[in-house]
Amino acid sequence: MNTLLMMLVDDAVFAGIAAFGFALLFNVPRQALLACVLFAASAHAIRSLLLHFNVPIEWASFIAATLLGLATVPWSRRVVIPRPVVTVAAIIPMIPGVYAYKTMTGLMTLHHQGYSVELQQQVVENGLLTLFILTGLSFGLAIAPVLVYRNKPIV
Amino acid sequence: MDDDVSGYITNNNAVISYEEQAAITRVIARVGQLLQAYNAESRLIEQTTERLGIAFGLESVEIALTSKAIILTTRFNDHCVTTTRTMKAHGIDMGIVCEVQRICILAERKIYDLDQIKTRLDNLDVPRYNAVLVACFVALSCACFSHLFGGDNIIFICTWLTSFIAMRIRQWLTQLHHNLLTVFFITAFFATFIGSFATGFGWGNNPELIMITSVLQLVPGFPLINAVSDMVKGHVTIGMARWMTATLLTLSSALGIVLAVQLALLGGWL
Repeated sequence: MNTLLMMLVDDAVFAGIAAFGFALLFNVPRQALLACVLFAASAHAIRSLLLHFNVPIEWASFIAATLLGLATVPWSRRVVIPRPVVTVAAIIPMIPGVYAYKTMTGLMTLHHQGYSVELQQQVVENGLLTLFILTGLSFGLAIAPVLVYRNKPIV
Repeated sequence: MDDDVSGYITNNNAVISYEEQAAITRVIARVGQLLQAYNAESRLIEQTTERLGIAFGLESVEIALTSKAIILTTRFNDHCVTTTRTMKAHGIDMGIVCEVQRICILAERKIYDLDQIKTRLDNLDVPRYNAVLVACFVALSCACFSHLFGGDNIIFICTWLTSFIAMRIRQWLTQLHHNLLTVFFITAFFATFIGSFATGFGWGNNPELIMITSVLQLVPGFPLINAVSDMVKGHVTIGMARWMTATLLTLSSALGIVLAVQLALLGGWL
């Protein structure tokens, strides 16, 4: 139990710092930086917790993104800042970047070294994983405006 | 369009002349253009322009978004003003998106009139973070990724250094106004090439992590998330365009990675 807690804290801290860097890169205003870090840390920790209990990574990403999306609604109303400003930076640590690159480099190797079943299998698996994790993340973020605020703006 | 119409009266006795409607339309078009140029999602552009139009007493604002331009029509008492603005992509700047949204809300609450909004939009002054500071923290982000993937302290420090150099190269190239694809290609090349030295010397518990994670700063997360959320909310064409942009960016970074790996193999340290 304690090791799990330690793992989650470690996870949250490093995901938070990672999101902070990207928030600076996207020029997120100063008053939203802290929120960005906290949302990113908690969302990533939730996903790691779910992964620990053997939830598939797509569903874990979807659930974490949904919770993140819903949590940012009251925050965004209070500080009058549109949600994408924090949600996208907060979700960056969960983006399947490594899988995306592996898909692309795999495709190039497939062309370079000639066809092989294992290589094709890797490309397809990585590509599908990228696609489904991304879809899970963005569907999750879109839940609040699509289901709750159907035609009303949130901010 | 009737040119001799000088003004007409609505239910709440507001009068908007053709010139006024045209002036309002120009301001709304500017808002839409800014939001799109700095990578706001389509739904936000649509909502903001519509709310701004209604705040100024127009009946409605209809907007058509393409990946390179916006076309919008304002309606008032069966009089339409249509305008098109092309979009010059400026990269991602959430500071400007926030500021434009705030201006829209000030107009909605009748705190600002049209002229004030126009001056404020013309003199948008959103502070940017110091470039070296940004590079430090983006490199720290990549280092954090290497930790999350199970790298030890040596990997952490090497990743930080590699991505810091890569990020400085990226900022320098962006400053020179190079094409985004070129920037991504060159940055990915240098990040992987520098990272490959650590693999050659066998530093840390898993030296390959340095190569993998220091290019993670180039993952086009913003276009990808925007692409899917646009498609989910019905803006399929612009979503596809954004998806394609993100794919191209990933492809050009992957090309950089492949080139660096092949050079490292030729050099014999991989």
